[in-house]
Amino acid sequence: MNGAKVNGSAVIDLKGVAIGYGAEAPPVLVDVDLSIERGSFVAIVGPSGVGKSTLLRVVAGLHTARAGAVTIHETKKPGHRPVSLVFQDARLLPWRRVAKNVRFGLEGLPISTTEREERVAAALRLVRLDDYGRRWPYELSGGQRQRVGIARALAVDPDILLMDEPFGALDAITRHGLQDELLRIHRETGKTVLFVTHDLEEAVHLADRIIVLGGSPARIVQDVRNEPGRESGGFREQVEQLRSGIADNYSI
Amino acid sequence: MRQPLKLHSSIALSALGVGAFLLAWEALARSGVVPAGLLPSPSAVPGAFLAEFRSGTWQAMVFASLSHYLSGLALGTVLGITFGTAAATWGVWDAFQAWVVRMLRPIPSIAWIPFAIIWFGVSKSAATFLIALTVFWINYYATYSAVRGVDKDLIELGHAFGQGGLIPRLFKIVLPGALPGILSGVRAGLGQGWMTVVAAELFGISGLGARMSDASGLLATHIVVLYMVTIAALYGVCDFLFMQVQQRVLAWQK
Repeated sequence: MNGAKVNGSAVIDLKGVAIGYGAEAPPVLVDVDLSIERGSFVAIVGPSGVGKSTLLRVVAGLHTARAGAVTIHETKKPGHRPVSLVFQDARLLPWRRVAKNVRFGLEGLPISTTEREERVAAALRLVRLDDYGRRWPYELSGGQRQRVGIARALAVDPDILLMDEPFGALDAITRHGLQDELLRIHRETGKTVLFVTHDLEEAVHLADRIIVLGGSPARIVQDVRNEPGRESGGFREQVEQLRSGIADNYSI
Repeated sequence: MRQPLKLHSSIALSALGVGAFLLAWEALARSGVVPAGLLPSPSAVPGAFLAEFRSGTWQAMVFASLSHYLSGLALGTVLGITFGTAAATWGVWDAFQAWVVRMLRPIPSIAWIPFAIIWFGVSKSAATFLIALTVFWINYYATYSAVRGVDKDLIELGHAFGQGGLIPRLFKIVLPGALPGILSGVRAGLGQGWMTVVAAELFGISGLGARMSDASGLLATHIVVLYMVTIAALYGVCDFLFMQVQQRVLAWQK
């Protein structure tokens, strides 16, 4: 296991986190000790059912860990939310037009109407959907819907952007296009991204750090630094190394 | 497989069907097979309408029934949606009222007529009460099902974006998500409400039903038919207008 270096600007700290479904069932994920640096792009990979998405929900506050502590070191700025989430299915509210979907997370925050509208416009610009604000969700393609989901998550100016297999349901061409868009957005915004995927190539293409979960109950089995980008020299080797790491710890 | 008809063909066939029905009815009435007092001819209805209209009776009856209908409809709809939402949202309340609902639901509204007259007298309030009761149950069940059917993933979305509290969850996710089902209930209530209007007024509360009851007592069946047609027309207008509103409100659906 290549221990990833943790510097002083951690934005998420997980200490001894264990996750399970129901009080009686055995835990699915145990002993998660993880510190994530501000501005990093971290991918979490592993086989199905290992608890990747649930770990993300624990960080988002949507699921309670069975044991351990989750600390978010949020910047105390007014008018933002510490974490926001992008779902696999985009999860747009069908009765709201695109701009109002992006505005959803801003409602209730102590900001003026003008700032709210400016942030909606900026988020749509960032995902290159400037002219789509008046459209209904059903008028969008799968890729466009996912962009709106990303814009909605970015509009709240989060410290951490949590992404739960956001491109998993898209065709290969759209998926590759959006992966490159996401890298650009990450460069432009400097947001910390915690990205769950089962696609190792996607993880190696996007992330500067990759956490591999495996075993039963699952735990962190690899924690590796990575140079993102398909064109990077060690892309193929990195994918193969992760694949063998998962295979070594895989049990059905 | 059935082939879909073009719009103008469909309209022409509908008009042809109505025309054939009226002609057959007219022929039967004129043939003398059935006594005129038992089956008036449709051609007698326009004359009856003019007479009723000139005397102001038609307008007074329509106004009275509309007044009962709209107040009962509004009351039953608002209460049905409110109680249906509450039962679908709060498990404790749902369990508390479940058996009361099971006991009261099978009782038809017209079975409450004796109580309506005892409590409110032969008055507009009695008619409003009966109509509201009918409309209430339709909206209660439609809303209950619609709210229970709201996508749980959208509720989770609300929690993820700071809209998980009761009020934002209710007004930004649950009710908009349930709206198609709720509006279907409202529309069903529009039709059932008219049926109850007539039933309530047959017992003497002034309106279309009372006028039909009076006319049938005098074997003025052409006047009975006039008011049957009037009810059908009023329901048609209400339903058409509601559909226009529904289409606008639900423009977000494909």
